[in-house]
Amino acid sequence: MSDNPMKPYLGRLVEVKDLATEIKLFRIELLNGGSEAFCNCKPGQFAFVSAFGLGEAPFGIANSSEHGPYLDFAINRLGTVTTALHELDKGDIVGVRGPLGNCFPMDEFKGKNLVVLGGGIGGAPLRPVIQHVLDHRADYGKLTILWAARNPSLLVFTNEYQDWRKSPNTSLHLTVDTPDPTWDHSVGLITDLLKKVNPSPENSVSITCGPPIMIHYVARLLSEMGFAPQNNYVTLEARMHCGLGKCGRCNLGEKLVCVDGPVFNMEEVGHLLETYL
Amino acid sequence: MIAPKLINPTWLISQTTLENWLDSLAKTRSLIAPRDVDGVLLYRPVENSRQIKWGFTRPALSAKEFFFPSTERLLKIEKTGQQVTLLETLPENQTILFGVRPCDMRGLQTLDALFIEHAPTDPYYSRRRENAIIIGLACKEMGSTCFCTSVGGAPDNSDGMDVALYETGDSYLVQAMTEKGLTLIPQTEWSLTDEIPAPAKQDAPLYALPQQDSWPAHFNADYWEHLSERCLSCRVCAYVCPTCRCFVIRDESLTVPGQFERIRCWDSCTSLNYRRVAGGHRQRANQNERLRNRFYCKFYYYPEQYGLGKSSACTGCGRCVDSCPVNIDITEALIELARLT
Amino acid sequence: MNEPKIVAFLCTWCSYTGADTAGIARLKSPANLRAIRVPCSGRVSPELIMRAFDQGADGVLVLGCHIGECHYDTGNHRAAKRIPTLSALMAFAGLESERLRLDWVSASEGERFSRITTEFVNTVRSLGPINWRADPKRVLALSHQLAKAESVPYPENNCASKTDSIRAKAKELLASGEVGCVIGYEVGPRGRTRPTFIYHDDDVERLVWNPDCTHNLTTYLPDKVSMSGALMAAHRKAPPKPVAVVVKSCDARAINVMLAENRFPREKVHIIGVVCEGVRAKDGSLQTRCVSCTERAPVIYDTLIGEAPSSIVNRKSGIELGIQTLEAAPPAERMEYWLSQFDRCIRCYACRQACPMCECPTCLYERDDSLWIGLGIGVNQKRAFHLGRAYHLAGRCVGCEQCEQACPMNIPISLLNQCLAQEVEKSFSHRAGMQAIPSPVVTVLAGEYKES
Repeated sequence: MSDNPMKPYLGRLVEVKDLATEIKLFRIELLNGGSEAFCNCKPGQFAFVSAFGLGEAPFGIANSSEHGPYLDFAINRLGTVTTALHELDKGDIVGVRGPLGNCFPMDEFKGKNLVVLGGGIGGAPLRPVIQHVLDHRADYGKLTILWAARNPSLLVFTNEYQDWRKSPNTSLHLTVDTPDPTWDHSVGLITDLLKKVNPSPENSVSITCGPPIMIHYVARLLSEMGFAPQNNYVTLEARMHCGLGKCGRCNLGEKLVCVDGPVFNMEEVGHLLETYL
Repeated sequence: MIAPKLINPTWLISQTTLENWLDSLAKTRSLIAPRDVDGVLLYRPVENSRQIKWGFTRPALSAKEFFFPSTERLLKIEKTGQQVTLLETLPENQTILFGVRPCDMRGLQTLDALFIEHAPTDPYYSRRRENAIIIGLACKEMGSTCFCTSVGGAPDNSDGMDVALYETGDSYLVQAMTEKGLTLIPQTEWSLTDEIPAPAKQDAPLYALPQQDSWPAHFNADYWEHLSERCLSCRVCAYVCPTCRCFVIRDESLTVPGQFERIRCWDSCTSLNYRRVAGGHRQRANQNERLRNRFYCKFYYYPEQYGLGKSSACTGCGRCVDSCPVNIDITEALIELARLT
Repeated sequence: MNEPKIVAFLCTWCSYTGADTAGIARLKSPANLRAIRVPCSGRVSPELIMRAFDQGADGVLVLGCHIGECHYDTGNHRAAKRIPTLSALMAFAGLESERLRLDWVSASEGERFSRITTEFVNTVRSLGPINWRADPKRVLALSHQLAKAESVPYPENNCASKTDSIRAKAKELLASGEVGCVIGYEVGPRGRTRPTFIYHDDDVERLVWNPDCTHNLTTYLPDKVSMSGALMAAHRKAPPKPVAVVVKSCDARAINVMLAENRFPREKVHIIGVVCEGVRAKDGSLQTRCVSCTERAPVIYDTLIGEAPSSIVNRKSGIELGIQTLEAAPPAERMEYWLSQFDRCIRCYACRQACPMCECPTCLYERDDSLWIGLGIGVNQKRAFHLGRAYHLAGRCVGCEQCEQACPMNIPISLLNQCLAQEVEKSFSHRAGMQAIPSPVVTVLAGEYKES
């Protein structure tokens, strides 16, 4: 981080491409010292991306630092900042502030089976986890990926699915709420898919990311399936302004999503999630 | 309460000497003291001691506005074509604050834990704290809505001040508490004394402060809904509070095209749109949840997050009690919780 | 000499074409105009005009179709009502009224266009460069208090019997199930009177009527009663039954304004109207709003507590005196006065939150997506917020003064609201809340307007 944690690094957009309906992938090359700051960022961390003149907003870093030296962000166009970002093109300058937050304890996951559940744009912060596991395949056990969206046009990173499936001991399961005529995978909520796939809790950890309501129901189902709370990880989002633990906005009970998270273990936040909806 | 020990050098001065001293200080640095602003007592810059509203109690806004201002520019942003330049705007002004009461001082110490001690240090706040020398004034007695003794404070607690003043008859005892404070004292002109400040008249605590670990148990108590029903989400409590620190960061355009500033300004968790996300969904949409969050933050979350130990983030200054338009009284809530525990 | 910068809002059907006509006929028109083409002069919202002045325009000209010729029938009626109202407010805040002009130019009136614009530019030029935007670094003088009116002592009256009647009525309504909640006043442990919500008939002893019943309880009604809205959905204790509310005469007028604006159905509220002798101020005298109050009895009620007085003393209050004093001062002095008042403002929005009429889920001035004035707390932004809010209350403010009472910085907000209330009464013979009809400044009633 720079000396002034409120001052972002400048970054140039090297690629802007459509990922899904209203979702674009922004690939940013960092300038003026930013690359050094981010070269060791870990899966699970996030950064603030600034559309200068309009504001900044936090986004999960969507690539592992070993796939670099750039930062990927999957951004859904929904509000002021995201709309402004969507109007930018290759070559434009944005700001990047970070890396912020904690990370997935990938070292603790070594040797374990991973069940990764991503709902909609929630898949973006999970991509660095998947990339990391695939790059260090032998260190991890079975990788079961459950990917969901409201409809097929909202699935993210579809062009990478094939590579994920090709990896040994890895399976990818897709589901949508509303299929289109070409859809030939499961239909239904991610909880239905999870019941169908029925991964074993034996020596497993789960990682979930998605809308708050999804996290609620998935957590409950995982616990019914025998996954102990301390083996269930979630990455949460919240409205943030400083990302440094100062402005107080992102609190989840006594925890701050920006510094104590965004990665949490269900044992520490399970009881706080009722205030999260 | 034990009388403050004479561990720091102390001088005895008259009101006139105090005023002359302040006049001379005002020539060296920006002097900020309580003034009458159209009937409202506020800390404002003064050019000389006559502009001070003598006999002041506590100003309507706490000293926090000089370290964590209500609006502050963080960066200036210049865009020309595809080029962007960022200019940091760090505060440089050297100040002296006069008349800071123990509750406000405790407020600053509480904010220090957040802005300075909790990494990363906020450069804007910490610069202002470094550039300021604080001359505090202990209270002789407590006001009707004060409750500092109920939150572990005291009306004559000079902890944290650079120079502490105690009223004694028509004179003042002046104690240098820090090296910084000592630099202000005209030691050759004043006479040292071994007089000890008399303890202030203190009210007994209103309640036994609920232990921090008992707060989670009360989270779903019906009482919060009853208390918050009349809340207007007006934010005044947070803005007058010496320790509330929620802020917003926004980019706004300046009048020259292509120029913007990134500012931060005060906000409060009691407002409806505080946790509104793009797309329109609001977390804590219910007023009850918001008011409860503010109390919990003050007495449980903030102390936990920023290592205040057994202290709460409330200084007992009573401003929220005075200024709430619908008389939502934090002391009532605490008395009720103590009863429930 | 600096040429004045004029922002001209021209309606596309008439005045913009009129400008073209002037050009084709080679008639001279001043080059100072920055023309903004709008579909109709009625589209020119006061916020746009205020923003033009905030951004540095020396003058703002709005030209629309003649009355009766509007492409949208009544769009120009809207302009004809809103802009003079805004002009009165801006003048009160210290802007020279000659800097804002509304006029009518048809598509063929090239000569008229040229004449009006030339006249306007000359007028603005003679006023000199505008001095509206305050330099944020300038230190404003601290004390600008207006002379205080003589205080009127709080009149003795029988509160105890009213307390008993209110309790009896509340008990009856709750016990019978006619209402699910009674919103009234109680006294807290520190002796301060405050709003309270009674849900059970055995709880009614908490209700009181006393000289300190200052709050406007109608501000709680929409949340408690409204059948729609996100707030209601989030509110767990949504009573399915109607709600009773204790109101004074000013509060009752607020209910009329809310009914006119369809905030809730009439049958969902049982109005317990109290004949009010006034509310006590902190110094023991009668509050300023009560000094000049002309209705002691509520204009709308279901139950009346107390007896309506046979006659009312007509008195001028500190507010009227304040408005008179300011209106008599030159514009520059008025502007200094308001800048020094708004300098103190901390933009806590307590005024807005306490106001029963301010109900936008996201206030225009706090929206993330449109930066009318930004969030910063410079004096220009604060003034823009207050003037904008005052304008939004034109014809709607009932003068309950809860805004001013909630303000932690003692800013005399009522002066702005009452100045506009006087203007609306003068121009439209409308006083907020006397009947359940909407403010004429926001509505266009059929056949109401002839070109003056």
